[in-house]
Formats: sequence, C-alpha cells, structure tokens
Amino acid sequence: MIKASISFLISVAIATVLLITQTTFTNLVWLSSMDMPIDVSVILSMMASDLISMNIKGEFPVGALVLVGMLIAFIVTRILLIWVNIDKRYLYALAGGATLFAIVGLMPLAFYNLDLIAGARSVFGKGYLIFTGMIAGYYFGARQTEGSTNESH
Amino acid sequence: MKVIKFLTLFSGVLALIPMASAGVQYKTETIVEGLDHPWSMAFISDTQMLVTELSGNLRLVTDGELSPTPIEGVPEVLFAGQGGLSEVLLHPRFEENKFVYLSFSAPDAEETTLNRLNVIRARLDGETLVEHKTIFQSDPPRKTAAHYGARLAFMADGRLLITSGDGFNYREKAQDLDNHFGKILRVNDDGSTPMDNPFVNTPGALPEIWSYGHRNLQGLVIKGDGTVFEHEHGPKGGDELNIIEPGKNYGWPAITYGIDYSGAIISPFTEQPGMEQPIKYWVPSIALSGMTLYEADMFPSWKGDLFISAMKPGDLRRLELDGQNVIEEEILFAKLGRIRNVITAPDGSLILATDGAEGKIIRVYADNPGS
Repeated sequence: MIKASISFLISVAIATVLLITQTTFTNLVWLSSMDMPIDVSVILSMMASDLISMNIKGEFPVGALVLVGMLIAFIVTRILLIWVNIDKRYLYALAGGATLFAIVGLMPLAFYNLDLIAGARSVFGKGYLIFTGMIAGYYFGARQTEGSTNESH
Repeated sequence: MKVIKFLTLFSGVLALIPMASAGVQYKTETIVEGLDHPWSMAFISDTQMLVTELSGNLRLVTDGELSPTPIEGVPEVLFAGQGGLSEVLLHPRFEENKFVYLSFSAPDAEETTLNRLNVIRARLDGETLVEHKTIFQSDPPRKTAAHYGARLAFMADGRLLITSGDGFNYREKAQDLDNHFGKILRVNDDGSTPMDNPFVNTPGALPEIWSYGHRNLQGLVIKGDGTVFEHEHGPKGGDELNIIEPGKNYGWPAITYGIDYSGAIISPFTEQPGMEQPIKYWVPSIALSGMTLYEADMFPSWKGDLFISAMKPGDLRRLELDGQNVIEEEILFAKLGRIRNVITAPDGSLILATDGAEGKIIRVYADNPGS
C-alpha cells in the first residue's frame, strides 16, 4: 500500500511537472519569437516560478487537479482490472491520458471554451499534455506490475 | 423576516444620509431595479436613457421609469460567458439623424460554433430600431465567449473607436496586425476605413487598426482635447489605464504586470522599447468595467477627474489627473457590489449600473449642487 501510494504520488508529480514546464516553454517560445530578451536565467526563473505558482497562486492548484483526476481514474482502472485482462501498464497509461484529457479537453467546455492552461490552447499542446498523462499512468502501471511479480514469488 | 425588513429600512435610511468625498457632499438614489445584467447606458434626452442588458434587450428609462417592453429591432445576440448585447452609443448628431450604435456578440453566419464581435448602426424610430447597418465584424471569428472589449466612443473628428478584446485564447494575436484580437479600431460612422489610419499603408495589416497589444478593453473615453483614455482588464493582476495614441503597441502579452489565472508567468517583462506603459496599473486586479470623464458642473471639485467602475470587490474609483499623470485615487461606493458601468448624466449627476441578474441603475447627485 505504501509502495503504491509513493508510486501514485510520483506519477502525479511526473504529469504535473511535464504539464507546467510545457506551459512555461509555450510562453517562452512565443516571447523569444517576439525578440524579447530571453536568456538562461529567465528560462530557469520562469520554470521555477511556474512550478510553484501554478500550484499555489493560480485559481486552481494544478497538482491537486491532477492528483484528484488520477486518483479517480486509477481507482476505476483498478476495478476494471478485476475483469479485464490487459497489461496494467497500458490500462493505467490510458487512465493517465484520460485524466489529462479531462483537464485540458473537457474542462474548457465548462468555461465557454476558455483554455485556462496556456499550453493547452493548441491541438498539439493538448495532444502533448494527454501524452504526459499517459507517461505518468504508464509509470504507475509499471510499478504495479513489478509489485505483482514480487508478490507471486 | 423581521430582520430583512429592518435591514431594508436601515439601508433605505442610509441611502438618504449624505455622504462625502474629498469635501464633496452627495446622495444616492436607485432609479431602476431588476435589470438583467445592465452593461451600458446612453441618455437620448435630459429625461430618457437607453440601457443595454447583456442578455439581449435594449431598455428605455423615462424619468426613472423603466418601459415594460424592450426597444424593438435589436438583433439576436449570443448571450454566453462575457458575451451579449454590450455597448449603446449615440451618434454625435443624434438629434438630427437618430443613429444609435450597438456592439454585441453573435454566432458566425457560416460556422455557428464560432462567434464574432459585431457593431451595428440603426435609427431609433420611436421605440423601434430601423435601417440596420453592420459597420464592423471582428475577424477572425473565435470559439470563446470572453474578452470582447466592445466599448465604443466617437472622436472629435467624427470617427468611431471600437475596442476589440483578445478573445482570451488568442492573446498572442494581439501583437499581430492581421487580425482584430486585442486592438482598438477606428472607422468612419458608416463603418468605412479612414485613410489617415496608422496602418493603411502597412502590408498585411488591417487598415482599421488604430492601436494594438491590448487585452480586454472595457473603458474608453475621449477628452475634449482629443486625449483617448482606455482601460483594460489584466489577467491576475495588471489592470491598466492607458492613454492611446495611433499606431502604438500597448504590449500585451509581451509585457504585463499580471500573471495567468493558472498562476503561470505570461511574461517576466513589464517594459520593452517600442511598447507603451500604462499611466496606472492595479495589482491585484480590480476588474475595471466602465469609465467616464467628469466634465459637468454638479460637482465642481470633481471636474476633470476620471471615474472608473470596478467589479472586484466592487466600487467606483475617482482618479484625479494632473495632465497625463494620476495623482490621487479615491475609492467610493465600496458597498454597492459589482459596478458594471458609470456615465455622466446631462444634469451632471453620475449614473452607476450594478452588475448581475438583478442589476440596478443608481444616481449620484450633489447634496448641495455646486459644492
């Protein structure tokens, strides 16, 4: 249980960090295209600031949003695994992707199509963020698979 | 129930007590209640006022009485998010031609999942709008129902300024001149483009653009000497009051004093060569919503001051100006809730509109006229 909890929190952290840095780089790339003075110190300070601010200063804490979404998705997946015989890694990857899809694809529908996460305003951005959810889910599924293997010995 | 009655009575008594601002004694009275998201007001005579409701109705108020039936002939609007029937503005020669200008959001004619900011001109015939002419449609259309801008104002030369917001999702386009996101447009009173606009000879630029780099422009007034005051919502922090000059770039989103609603940094820069600075900005945001330049006589000591309505937490800001500098800010009416707009009435009183589904029109008048 403790191992699973740690794995879960790491998968939430993976998705959250990838989501936040994607928004940071979306903004940085555009600023750079406008010939704004972007250097390494600006990049590092924006990344550090976003990692903190998007969890405490925003209208919604991104990390908490990912955590709640993934908790629901992974519980549903765990129940599905009772009946479905699919590799855990892939099913949890789908669950992670579904979580991010809900955040970047469905949530805007409740806000008049406003994409509150800047990195999610393009189709590419949405696709990338869903992929980050899949990576996080895959990690969690892989850890669960390792656990099953150990238990079976 | 007794408590409610007591509070109602108590608030009524309070309304009769003169209040003071910087030595100015004034009173308030509610003249209209029950308006559905009132957004803009315009006096068509000393006693009659048009009021837009964001939900799509144009209402007539005569001597403080709300006409039970809305003005007919108002186009269908998209009432969603921040969209709907927004500004009402009279032509400078309204007495002669009865032209009224309306701004509103409406679905795109071809792709109805998208929408645009529209401005029409129509003639007020009794209580009906006739002879409609679309004089502006924002381009390209957007999928979002936010950040329309939608304020209108006539310049002394008879040209019409239109504010067009960045559409929220399209903020970077405010820096490009090939679209209407985050721009102030200048057109003739029939919608045609004046040939002395700053970008008429710029390849790829839309010729009606007057200034760019704006976010959600909600206040626009023009002083007698031609100075254009504009204010706009920042994101989380960074509401701005600007003086607009033709062809200038006001920086959004390359420079800003605010951060994104998600908490992310939009830009770490607050200034950059070639981009204009606001004459005042607010952090945290106060959700600027409307503005009037007080030039009447009822409150002589307020003459020349800007009054800005705000929705967060909800109050009226009096800004005293020295040339182009704000030298004092006073907060008034902090207990009225969200104030959507403020205008000056022909008699010199201030008219406030409160926001919401049960919006009110409130008159602020001098306790001792001329004080």
